[in-house]
Amino acid sequence: MTPAAPPPAGGVRHLYLHLPFCAARCGYCAFVVEVGREEVRDAYLDALLAELAQEGGRLGPLETVYLGGGTPTLMGAGRLTRLLEALAPRLAGGAEVTVEANPETVDRTLARALVAAGVTRVSLGAQSFQPHLLAALDRRATPARVRAAAGLLREAGVGRLSLDLIQAVPGQTMADLERDIAEVGAIGPDHVSWYELEVKPGSALAARGAVVDPDLAEDAYLRVVDALEDMGYRWYELANFARDGARCRHSLAYWTARDYLGLGVGAVSTVAGTRWRNAPGVDRYVAALAAGRRPPRTREPLAPATRRRERWMLATRLDEPLDLGWAGPPDHPEAVPRLAGLGLVEAGAGTLTLTRRGRLLQNAVVQELMDFST
Amino acid sequence: MDQGNIRNFCIIAHIDHGKSTLADRILQITGAVSERDMRDQVLDTMELERERGITIKAQAVRVSYRAADGQTYQLNLIDTPGHVDFSYEVSRSLAACEGALLVVDASQGIEAQTLANAYLAIEGDLELVPVLNKIDLPAADPETHARALADLIGDTPDHVLRISAKTGAGVREVLEAIVQRMPPPAGDPAAPARALVFDSFYDQYRGVVAFVRVIDGALEAGTRLRMTPAQTPTGRLTAGESGYVVTGLKRVGDLRVGDTLTGAQRPAPSPLPGYREAKPMVFCGLFPMDSDDYPDLRDALEKLSLNDASLMWEPETSQALGFGFRCGFLGLLHMDIVRERLEREYDLELLATTPNVAYRVFTTAEEEIEVHSPVDLPAPQRIERIEEPYVRCTVLVPQEHVGAVMGLCQERRGVFVTMTPIEQRQQIVYDMPLAEIVMDFYDQLKSRTRGYASLDYEPIGERESPLVKLDILLAGDPVDALSMIVHRDSAYARGKGLVERLRETIPRQMFEVPIQAAIGGKVIARETVKARRKDVLAKCYGGDISRKRKLLERQKEGKKRMKQVGNVEVPQEAFLAVLQIDSSGKR
Repeated sequence: MTPAAPPPAGGVRHLYLHLPFCAARCGYCAFVVEVGREEVRDAYLDALLAELAQEGGRLGPLETVYLGGGTPTLMGAGRLTRLLEALAPRLAGGAEVTVEANPETVDRTLARALVAAGVTRVSLGAQSFQPHLLAALDRRATPARVRAAAGLLREAGVGRLSLDLIQAVPGQTMADLERDIAEVGAIGPDHVSWYELEVKPGSALAARGAVVDPDLAEDAYLRVVDALEDMGYRWYELANFARDGARCRHSLAYWTARDYLGLGVGAVSTVAGTRWRNAPGVDRYVAALAAGRRPPRTREPLAPATRRRERWMLATRLDEPLDLGWAGPPDHPEAVPRLAGLGLVEAGAGTLTLTRRGRLLQNAVVQELMDFST
Repeated sequence: MDQGNIRNFCIIAHIDHGKSTLADRILQITGAVSERDMRDQVLDTMELERERGITIKAQAVRVSYRAADGQTYQLNLIDTPGHVDFSYEVSRSLAACEGALLVVDASQGIEAQTLANAYLAIEGDLELVPVLNKIDLPAADPETHARALADLIGDTPDHVLRISAKTGAGVREVLEAIVQRMPPPAGDPAAPARALVFDSFYDQYRGVVAFVRVIDGALEAGTRLRMTPAQTPTGRLTAGESGYVVTGLKRVGDLRVGDTLTGAQRPAPSPLPGYREAKPMVFCGLFPMDSDDYPDLRDALEKLSLNDASLMWEPETSQALGFGFRCGFLGLLHMDIVRERLEREYDLELLATTPNVAYRVFTTAEEEIEVHSPVDLPAPQRIERIEEPYVRCTVLVPQEHVGAVMGLCQERRGVFVTMTPIEQRQQIVYDMPLAEIVMDFYDQLKSRTRGYASLDYEPIGERESPLVKLDILLAGDPVDALSMIVHRDSAYARGKGLVERLRETIPRQMFEVPIQAAIGGKVIARETVKARRKDVLAKCYGGDISRKRKLLERQKEGKKRMKQVGNVEVPQEAFLAVLQIDSSGKR
C-alpha cells in the first residue's frame, strides 16, 4: 500500500542538499553545476548552512537526507564532515543519509570520513563500464576506477551501496549492455538506478546532436529489467532496483508525494502545496545568504487537481498498488475497464495496480487515466 | 457615366502567365491604386491567394481611364481565377463582361486552360483581345506564339499585343485596345432595374455584400430593392456597370449567386437567366477535431458558401469520426483551399477524409441512387450496376513527353481520343474516370513531364464500371472514414498499398493493431502495427517533478492531433494516406 503523507504538523521529514561543484561537466548533464570554483566552496557551505538555519523551522526529525550534485564528494572530506555534523542533531533514529559520489573522487580517506560522519548510503555514479561509452558521456573515471571505488566504499563500511548506470548511449550495443550487466552482477550493489539516456537541451550531447535510438532504448530497458530481476533485485520503481530492504527511502518520499525541503543553489522544495526552486547561480545564492536574505526563488503553487495528478504520475512508478483513497479518483474512470481489458491494469477494492506490461507503458497508462492537458 | 464609355472586361490566363501582374499594372497606370499602396497582386486580397500566388475568387474593380481619343472611360475589371477547378468562377465572371484579355506567356505559349477558357469566352460572345506577356524574357518567342494565338481565336497575328506587365511595356496599348475593340455594354438604362449577382461575400459589419452586374436600369442609392423577399437600401449603379451592393442581409442563405436584383418600386417583369448550378465533382467528409466545434463548423461553412457558390455541404455522421459534414468541391485544389480557409479564417481544426467522386448506383430493386460517400454504397448483392463520372481530359505537352503522358493515362483507365499538334506541342485527349484524376493525377502528370504538361478537363457524363467497396479494418473494426470505392482490377494492389501506408502512418500503440483491407468481408491484405513495449519517463525525482508533469501535458497536447477510432489513435494523415496510393499500389 502507498504510505500516507505525514501530518504537516510533524514538520518536513526529507531534506535534499545540493552541492553543485564538478571537476568537469559530463556530456548528458544539464543540472545546476559549477565547474571548478575551488575558491567559493567554503563560502557556499556557509551559505548552505545559513539557508538550513533559515528554513530549519519547517523541519521535523529527518527520516532521510540526500546530498546530491554536482559532485558532492568534490567538496572533500572536511567540508562534508562539517555539513553532516551540522545535520546530525536533526536526524531521526535510523535515518537514511545518502551521498552521491563520482568514482574518481573516492579514496580510502574519503570513504572512511563519510562513514564516520554518519553516511549510511552512497550512490556511486558508474554510468557504464565500457570505455567508449564513458568517453561518449564525457566521464572521467576508467572502468577500473569504478570497480575500485565500489570496493573502497564497501571496505569502509558504507551500509548501502547504489550504482547509477545509463543505457541507450549513442554507440552502445546490446553486447555492451550485457557486459555492464555482468559488471553490476560482479560488484553486487544493494541498489541500482539504471536510466535511459536523456539528451537534455543545454547539455553537451544535445549540442553535438546526439539522439537516443528508440529501438535500442526499448530493447535495453526490457533487458535490464529482466536481468536485474533474475539477479534477485526488486524492480520497485521504473528505473530503480533494490535488494530486500534496500529501497531508497529518500526517493520513495518523492514518489509518494511527501513534502521535502531542498537547500542549495537550484534546489527544489515542495511543502504544504507550494513548490519553490532556488534560482541557479552560485554567486547570487552565496551573496543573498551572506547578507542574511533568502536566496532568489521561483514559486509554483500546486492546485489540488495538480497535486492529485502528480500523485498518480509519481506513485504509479512504484511496484505497489495505488491507493485510490490517497491518490484520488482518476480523471477518466472510463479508461480503467479499457486498460484492464488490455491487460495493463488491475482494479482492486479501492486500489489500482499496474501489471508488468502496464508498468512498461506507465507513461501512456497514466495519460489515459489522468488529464494532463492544461 | 455615359453607357457608351463603359467597358466591362476580364483577363483570361493560364496560371503563372501574368494575369495578376497585368491587373496590378493597369490599376497603377490608371491611378486606381496610389504608388504608396502598390504591392504585388493587389486584387488577390485573400492571404491564401498571396501566399500561393494564385487567384481563387473573382474580384471586381473599377478604374477611370483617359484614352488617346481624349474621352474618359470607366473600365470595370473582373479578375478571374486561373486553375481548372475554378472554371466555374471564370464562366460567371465572363457573363458580366463584353470583352476579355486573353493573356499568354510569350515564352510558354498556349496552355490547356488557355484553350478551355478562350472557348468559354468565344461561346459567351465576348470580344477577345489577344495579349502576349513577358516579351522581356530571353526565352520569349512572340512571333511563333502570336501566330498560334491568332489561329486559336480566328484573328491575325498583327492584332496580337506584345507586352511586359512586369516592366509596363505595352500596357497602355492594352488599355487602348480595351476601349477601341471591346463594345460598350448593351442593356436599357430606362428599363426597370435588373442586376445579376455574380459573386457575394459576408462582411462581419455590413452583412451580405453582393457583386453585381447591372444589365438594365439603375440601382439608386436609397431605393428599395426587391430580391426574394428581402428589401434593403443600396449604393448607386447604372446599366452596364458592375460593382457591389451592401444588401444588409444578415442571413447568408438569403442570397444565391445567379439571383437577380431589381427595384421594389418598379420591379422588372422577369429575372435574368441565372447560372447553371455549379456541380461539385469531388466529395470528402470534414470533421472537427474537437467535437465541440461542430456548431462552429456549420456556421463557418454557411458563411464560406456565400462567398463560394460551388461549395456544397450536408451533415454526415461517421462511426469513427462523429458528427461532421459531407462536402462537395469543384476539384482537389478547391477542396484544399476550402479546408485551409476554414482552419485559418474560422480557427477550426479539421480532419478531412479521403476524397471521392459521385457515383450513380442502380439497384436490383430498380432504384437509382447518387452516392457521395463509400459508406452509402449499398451491399454488393443489391447493386445491379454502378456508373462513375468521366471527364474528357486535355493535356498539352512537348513532344518528348508524349509517351509519359500516354502511359499515365493508360494506367488510369484512360481511353485515347485524339492527338493534335499545336505549335511545337501535342494536344493529347483522353476520356478518363474522374476518380483517377482525383487521386494524384495532376501531381503525377507534372512530375513525369518535368512540369511541362498542362491539364484541363470537362465532364462528359457517366459510364458503367466494375467498382467495389474497399473496407479498411483497424483492430478488427471497419473504419467507415477509411473505406473507398475502387475499380475491381486495382482493388488488391490498392488495398495492399494502403495497409502498408497505414502501418507507417499509425504510431505504435499500447497493443498490437492489425490493419486489414477487405472487400465484401473477404480480407485481401493485412499489416500489423506492433505494440509499443516501453513508454516510461527515464527518471523522476524531487527536482524535476514539475518538468516531467509539463512534459506529460505537452505529450497530451500532441495527442489531440490524433483521432481516437475505437481503441486506436489515428493521426490525421492516415485519412489521406489513400491519396498517395495509385492503382498499382505504389506511391
